[in-house]
Amino acid sequence: MFEINDKTNAPARDHGTDILVRLQARFGALESHRQRQDLLRIEVGQDQLLPVLSWLKGDTPYVQLTHLTAVDWIEEDRFELIYLVTAPALFMTLMISISIDRVSATAESVFNLWLQAETYEQEINEMFGIDFPGSPRQGVPFILEGWDDMPPMRRDFDTVEYCKRTHPERPGRDHTDPRTYVGKKFGEKGYLT
Amino acid sequence: MKRFDPDKPWDLTTLPTTAGPEGSLPHAPVQKTAGGRDQCFLGASDVPNAPGLPEAVSTIKNWFRASSLNVLAFGTGCGAIELRPLMTSRFDMSRFGITGAPTPRMSNVFIISGYLSTKTLKRVIRSYEQMPNPKWVVALGSCTINGGMYWDSYNTIKVLDLYMPVDVYISGCMPRPEALIAGFQYLMKEIKAGDANGWHHYLENLDWYRENQKKVIKDWDLPDYSW
Repeated sequence: MFEINDKTNAPARDHGTDILVRLQARFGALESHRQRQDLLRIEVGQDQLLPVLSWLKGDTPYVQLTHLTAVDWIEEDRFELIYLVTAPALFMTLMISISIDRVSATAESVFNLWLQAETYEQEINEMFGIDFPGSPRQGVPFILEGWDDMPPMRRDFDTVEYCKRTHPERPGRDHTDPRTYVGKKFGEKGYLT
Repeated sequence: MKRFDPDKPWDLTTLPTTAGPEGSLPHAPVQKTAGGRDQCFLGASDVPNAPGLPEAVSTIKNWFRASSLNVLAFGTGCGAIELRPLMTSRFDMSRFGITGAPTPRMSNVFIISGYLSTKTLKRVIRSYEQMPNPKWVVALGSCTINGGMYWDSYNTIKVLDLYMPVDVYISGCMPRPEALIAGFQYLMKEIKAGDANGWHHYLENLDWYRENQKKVIKDWDLPDYSW
């Protein structure tokens, strides 16, 4: 844990640079971006994902999978999967990002590293239609019940069109003059008594 | 029909079950609205046929009903956050005879507090049908009226009264507890006047409501009616 040492003016150790140097020494050049003091984004290849994550979990303080989510880059025809891996002792988080093909939409499961990835992968499977072979509960409904359309978080899913088709609207009034409308409906006082 | 015998008050065959055709009963309760809602709501069937008595009994019954509203503890959306200050000391809804109830069987007011996803709608229907009659629905916030800020959400219904009867709409996003109190006072006024008959409308038009409900709830597995 942190030790507060106010006797020296030595700058605090930068854990982000540390882990980046160690990662690059091991896995070659990696693209990175420092989002915040305690948040470092690292892009790895699809085949490097499991080696990187298992090395982080086994040999470094980055032991906790905080979050796993997906981003739909429809213009570039790819999905981005983001694994937030946290070192609780260092108050430092890594965003490990991989890109996968949007058509096949299949990624390796990290269920064997972290059991809680099962739930994240189930949700991504339902919301984005990304398949994680080997992960339990794939294809089991998580939030949606009786969903019969394409996965709703994909960006080519037309929410408004689906909504118009499924949920009827209440017809609005044909003019927008509130004084006339309210006066006619509720009398001179303008409110319901 | 047999005459009511004061020595045999348990003989239900002597009680008028309907108001009957015009003129058949000298003191039949006045039908205020079409469709016989008044009879059902006022419980006219178990009132002895004496001059002015049905009206008096119905007035008293409605007064009692309006003074004891038990709100089901079911928060569907963000509007449920307004119910806490309403219940507790600052706005204190028990001043008005309103209190909370933990289960559908023990409650008679359902507050739909905000947006309603189709998944929750199924549970709401199930809970609503389990509530004993008479029961009333208060719809809170603009989400229940026209979808509000969820007007383009794939998973949220937009018009609540297609799926269940609504007695009072309270507009706002979110309505303050003062607005809720005003809505409750309006509901009490309606109950006392015998006009808050949404539950009866639901039973009369159950097929129409079911059809609408099944359009949005794709994996329908509810019974015909959740008694």
